[in-house]
Amino acid sequence: MIGFLDFNRFMQYIDFNKLQQLFVYDPANQLYFSTSFFLFFFFSLLLFYRIFSFSKNLKIYTLIFFSLFFYYKDSGYFFLLLFLSTFINFYFGSWIYKSKTDGIRRILFFSILLINLGLLIYFKYTNFFIQIFSELTSGNIQLLNIILPVGISFYTFKALSYVIEIFIGTMEPTNNLRDFVLYMYFFPNILAGPIDRAVAFLPQIGGDLVPTKEDMGKAVFLIMSGLFKKVVIADYIGLNFVDRVFQVPLRFTGVENLLASYAYSIQIYCDFSGYTDMALGIASLLGFKLMDNFNIPFLATSIADYWRRWHISLSTWLLDYLFKPLQMNFRRMRIYGSALAIFITFLIVGFWHGANWTFVVFGLFHSTYLAVSLLTQKYRKAFYDKIHLTGTKTLKVFQIFVTFHLVLITAIIFRSDSLKTARNVFHQIFEFFHGAVFFQWISGYTEVFVLILLGYALHFIPKSVDNKVKSMITAAPIYIQAILLALMILLVVQVESAQLQPVIYFNF
Amino acid sequence: MVSEKLQKIILNELKLTSFDFKDETTANQVPGWDSFNHINVIMAVERDYNIHFKGIEILKVKNMGELQKLVDSKLQLN
Repeated sequence: MIGFLDFNRFMQYIDFNKLQQLFVYDPANQLYFSTSFFLFFFFSLLLFYRIFSFSKNLKIYTLIFFSLFFYYKDSGYFFLLLFLSTFINFYFGSWIYKSKTDGIRRILFFSILLINLGLLIYFKYTNFFIQIFSELTSGNIQLLNIILPVGISFYTFKALSYVIEIFIGTMEPTNNLRDFVLYMYFFPNILAGPIDRAVAFLPQIGGDLVPTKEDMGKAVFLIMSGLFKKVVIADYIGLNFVDRVFQVPLRFTGVENLLASYAYSIQIYCDFSGYTDMALGIASLLGFKLMDNFNIPFLATSIADYWRRWHISLSTWLLDYLFKPLQMNFRRMRIYGSALAIFITFLIVGFWHGANWTFVVFGLFHSTYLAVSLLTQKYRKAFYDKIHLTGTKTLKVFQIFVTFHLVLITAIIFRSDSLKTARNVFHQIFEFFHGAVFFQWISGYTEVFVLILLGYALHFIPKSVDNKVKSMITAAPIYIQAILLALMILLVVQVESAQLQPVIYFNF
Repeated sequence: MVSEKLQKIILNELKLTSFDFKDETTANQVPGWDSFNHINVIMAVERDYNIHFKGIEILKVKNMGELQKLVDSKLQLN
């Protein structure tokens, strides 16, 4: 009886409206890895995953159910659009495979290409093109009210990898719609990648989907490092320093603009690689291996090398499905054909990031770098040979330094909200440097300074050290792993709440 | 088996003195065979054998063994 009364009282404390809202799409309250509701979501999933461990089929449907909910929670009714896209790609995949003549194969392939790209272009670029047209004709055309479905750039590329590989003949379609739905909706990589290949993902569903002890240790390490990089480093220096400078660059000296650019480089690395680490770790706990996206990118000795180390799942996607076919088609033009293929590829890279001129210029810079480097490769090598620098450490350090700063220039353009903002940043750096402000800046922004250094330090840690830590965590008993993870979550929560302070302070 | 001739063409194009090519060798394991040089290697193979690849045939090739098979199939046609 007493128990019943307590239960009644307990129920009074629960706000059912609020509770219900947690499960409904709310644009202001989305479900990301670093939110508290995600913890609840993920632990419930793991619980069901465990309960259903006797049946793989049930496990897969559990994963699909949670993935559907995850995407619904983040995108509302756009999850129906993804449904459509999933079905169409699944059937086109098998039709392409079964088609009897080359002609039909081609027609089917180019239709599905058009459908996928058409949807992407409609949602992402319609207003951008209307705006350009409107400016060119100095008319005043109303923009359409189009909301971008979250993750569309990522899942469109995932779907394309499936149909392209079937068309080329490097994979056979799956005849299991369930598996394909899981590939398309798999929640760890649906919002921001990694853009996993169907050819690598689908066979994993055939495995036993039980994480090994190594997978668990790796997952704990990745989730911890991901949370730290994303929330403690990236969000903190972004909110407290980078955002302020890039909002009004002219209000800061050149040295501060330069520091904000260095800070942004490490912010975007920690943000994106931290997010990717979490995605990899979460997938690992479910028994899946996803593609890694980063390999110490700022250690690159050339821009080409940089793209082999940065956002690898996107760069290899474009390399395999866009650059290589273009290069093959332009091969009669020899080296200039390759240069042309580079320009087209990076124009697409620019556009892929968003509908803004800054991204187009970002792509143009990278393609110019790559084309120039390709065309001058022979002469540079001859020059380094002549002054006996080839193969030396000095040359390597020099190349890393130059590559890093070439990338930094593009990062400034990438971060700026308009080309004018980017120009202002460069103007301050070159015309209004005031180096002495550096010491003032350090005393005013000590935490930010320390976090920037820490971010770069974490970035440059060799993979071998990473692996050592991973195997140490793997060897530790499960309760130690749980405590480590809990401590990291606690730290992240602390930092998240502390972040509000400087902003409030800023308003005085 | 990767034939002597094919090995020689590739070594020559990449300015290497020797490399142990196996059927399962992929481009990224061979020094200097990057995405830019790839097209030069393919064109050297086409030139020295006097054959012509279709774009999609090359995209399909995953390793040295498959490249050898593709070359052989072209030679039979000639």
